Amino acid sequence: MGDITVGLNCPACGGAITIAEGESVVNCQYCGSTLYAEGDKGVQTIAFKNKLDERTAIGAAQAWWGKGFKARDLKRTGAVTECYPIYIPFWDIRTRVAGWVCGYEERTRSDSKGNTKTERIYKEEMVLMDLAYSEIACDPGDLGLRSLRNFSGESTFEDLDMIPTFESTTSRDDADAHARSDAIARGRSSAHVPHITFENLHALVKRTSMIYYPIWVVRYTYQDRMYLLTVDGVTGQVLSGRAPGDPLFQSLAVTAGTSIGGLAAAGGVLFTINTGSEFGIAGVILGFIILGATYVFFRHGSEIIQGDFADRKKGPDMRQLGNIGKMIGGAYR
Amino acid sequence: MAQVNCPRCAAPIELDSGNKFAKCSYCGSMIFFDRTGAGFYYAIPFKLSQNDAVGTFRRWAGGSTKAKDLDRLASITSVKKKYFPVYLFRRDVNGREEVYVKPAGSTILPGLHQLKVPGGDLKIFDGNFDTNGAELVKPDIEMTHYLDNLPGKGKEQALVYFPIWTIDYTFNGASYQVVVDASSSEVFATSFPTRSSAAYLLVAVAGFFAFLVLGFVATVYLVPALILMALTVVAVFFISLTVARRL
Repeated sequence: MGDITVGLNCPACGGAITIAEGESVVNCQYCGSTLYAEGDKGVQTIAFKNKLDERTAIGAAQAWWGKGFKARDLKRTGAVTECYPIYIPFWDIRTRVAGWVCGYEERTRSDSKGNTKTERIYKEEMVLMDLAYSEIACDPGDLGLRSLRNFSGESTFEDLDMIPTFESTTSRDDADAHARSDAIARGRSSAHVPHITFENLHALVKRTSMIYYPIWVVRYTYQDRMYLLTVDGVTGQVLSGRAPGDPLFQSLAVTAGTSIGGLAAAGGVLFTINTGSEFGIAGVILGFIILGATYVFFRHGSEIIQGDFADRKKGPDMRQLGNIGKMIGGAYR
Repeated sequence: MAQVNCPRCAAPIELDSGNKFAKCSYCGSMIFFDRTGAGFYYAIPFKLSQNDAVGTFRRWAGGSTKAKDLDRLASITSVKKKYFPVYLFRRDVNGREEVYVKPAGSTILPGLHQLKVPGGDLKIFDGNFDTNGAELVKPDIEMTHYLDNLPGKGKEQALVYFPIWTIDYTFNGASYQVVVDASSSEVFATSFPTRSSAAYLLVAVAGFFAFLVLGFVATVYLVPALILMALTVVAVFFISLTVARRL
């Protein structure tokens, strides 16, 4: 297997060169020649120092059990079976987006006589922003992690040999492409132009590096089930996890949701009938949004999920519910 | 840990999966690992024991879309520990790095045709690697079969053994199978007994319209409507609690 290694030495003096991964320009420490490394130079890599120990990670997990609508007996009966740190690779990509977004905003006003007037306000917004984008550089599996929330930490490679390190298995160019489209999208939304007629936005990648981030994995059991959660090894916060829910909270939620939602809708309809004003529709829309949100919790609240999981149940589409509310509210006008 | 020899002083150097560069600890030379021409064998260690895998399956089976009490009622008929092989190709296609994951073994196991290399600590797989009793699924598709057809130039190519538990279970007379990824705990299943949303939806919608109607009634008969509302609150609470517990 000797033929897969390439010894690096200075072409001018033959001395051994020290070059960090990701760097392309280096000075020979013997003859001072400035050298340029070509080809697969890798990516600049940093690793953050792990600040937690097993006790604090388990403490964070147990504190998390007591928060939110998780099973009431979780704190008593949940048992941590395993707790270990891993290093997970993330692409850390700094981008700059620049350009122009042109378009208009429409404002509809109605006076007391029911006359509506639509006004167009033309907009021309300049965009210039530096952004940070991150994405996980391996398959996240069921860890519930997709991007980094914290970009600062003490850099060290000390622990990298001791703590199991997940290897990067995604393409750098794919990550760069995702970062550019993310930058364009964020640049566009920062302009706040509702109807875009013209845009010219450019995103450039300023720097791509890889961060090995320490994450504590805590496995625990609850009624013969095995759950997993992750704790940020720098900040000590729970990043993602699954936990059992509680039927009591599910039924309390749907009871509150149907009563408040139903009465809000009724109030909205009555207001519209009595005053003829459009504001009543807002009550109907609100009622439907409350109903939809509590229904989702009622149906799927037997498992509480935090983090970026593929099977996470999102709340209902607000716009869709709003449209149903408008239809019902409008029918009474 | 696999070793290679330093090209300058022939001292042994440890080769790990993630590193492109290494420094020879004897002569101090910087070594670049050129992986373009070689094929590597990697394996991801098992993070889940058999009990963990069964517990993870039960957690998954207790999810809201699975049949009620599937976690308790599913009877597990077999649990197997396996290493499943996939190919990982990293290639330079017109200056862009592309990653391709291809099957190395033919399979009908759920999830394994989604094809990915799950997150894990890639270890060099050689004669010294301890599989801990896991069955090695033999790759029956040659790496060269793909190498000839993939675009671009190879930067790295590897066979990765990824650790799985396959669990067979029966529920209401039908058999099902799931695969638990033993590195990151992901559960794969193509089919499973599902739970109907009907009862949940019925309670929510009926409750909503009951309050909507009572809201109208309250404008005419305030006191009776308030009493009915209180009764409805109690009814919705107990019906929904029963639904959440039993259905």
